[in-house]
Amino acid sequence: MDFFSSMNVSSSALTAERTRMNLISSNLANAGTTRTPEGGPYKRKDAVFTATPAQSGFSRALSGAAGQNVRQVEVAQVVEDQSPPRMHYDPGHPDANPQGYVAMPNVNVMEEMADMISATRAYEANVTAVQAAKSMALKALEIGR
Amino acid sequence: MPVDGIFSSTINLLSKSIDLRVKSQNLISSNVANAETPNYVPKSLDFEHELQGALKGGGINGGVTNSRHIPLKGVAGRLESVSGRVVESPSKSPGKDGNAVEIENEMSRMAENQIMYNATVQMLTKKLEGLRSAMKVGS
Repeated sequence: MDFFSSMNVSSSALTAERTRMNLISSNLANAGTTRTPEGGPYKRKDAVFTATPAQSGFSRALSGAAGQNVRQVEVAQVVEDQSPPRMHYDPGHPDANPQGYVAMPNVNVMEEMADMISATRAYEANVTAVQAAKSMALKALEIGR
Repeated sequence: MPVDGIFSSTINLLSKSIDLRVKSQNLISSNVANAETPNYVPKSLDFEHELQGALKGGGINGGVTNSRHIPLKGVAGRLESVSGRVVESPSKSPGKDGNAVEIENEMSRMAENQIMYNATVQMLTKKLEGLRSAMKVGS
C-alpha cells in the first residue's frame, strides 16, 4: 500500500538520523579521550548516507514511475575522520610525547553542536512527514462515512 | 438513466486525484528523508496538466484495436491512464555534498499536498452524501 511506503521511507530516515545522533554523542563524549583500544587518541566518526530504492523486485516493477523513484535512506558506512590530531601542550600528561605535547582527538565541539542541530531538524522534518502520511491515511477511511 | 450515470466522471476524477496525491506524498517523503544524502536530486510528481487534459479532451481518444497500432499519446489521455510525470529538480546551487534538497520547499509542498488531499477527500464525501440524500427523498 502506498501510504506505508511513505511511512517506511520516513522511518528509514529517522533510523539514519538517530545513528548520526549517536555518533555525534560519541564524538562529544570522547572529545578529550587520548587512549583507545586501537591506540592513539579517539578519531571523530561520521555516518555516510546513501539513497536506496524503497521497494524491491516485483512490487517495484509494478509500482510505475512514481513508485520507482521513491528512495529510502540508509547508513552506508561509518567513517573515521583521518585529519591529524590536535596537539595540546601538557608536559605533565602521561600520554605526552618527549616534546611535551599530547595528541588530542580531532573533534571540534562547535562543529559537533552544529551537526547535532542539523540532525535534530532533519529528524523533526521526518516526524512531520510521518504525521502527514498518517493523517492522510486516516482521512481516507472517512470516505463514504 | 444508466447506473454509471449516477456517479458520472466526478467520482472517477476525485479518486484518481487522491491516488496521485498519495504518490506525490511518497516522493516528498523520499525527498525529506534524503535531505542529507550526498548527490541526491529531489523529485516531484507533475500531474495537474495531464489530469486537466484528460478531463477536457474527450474528443480524440486513439483506440488501439490491433497490437501493431501505436497508441495516441496526446493531451487527451484517458482519465484512468493518467499517472503523472516524475520531474527531477536539481538545485541551481547545490551544497558541497551535491545534495539539492531544499527542506523548506519540501515541507511547504508537503503541507500543500496534504491540504489538497483533504479537500479532495471532503469533496468525495460530500458527493456521496449528496447522492445518499437524493436517494432518501420520497421514502
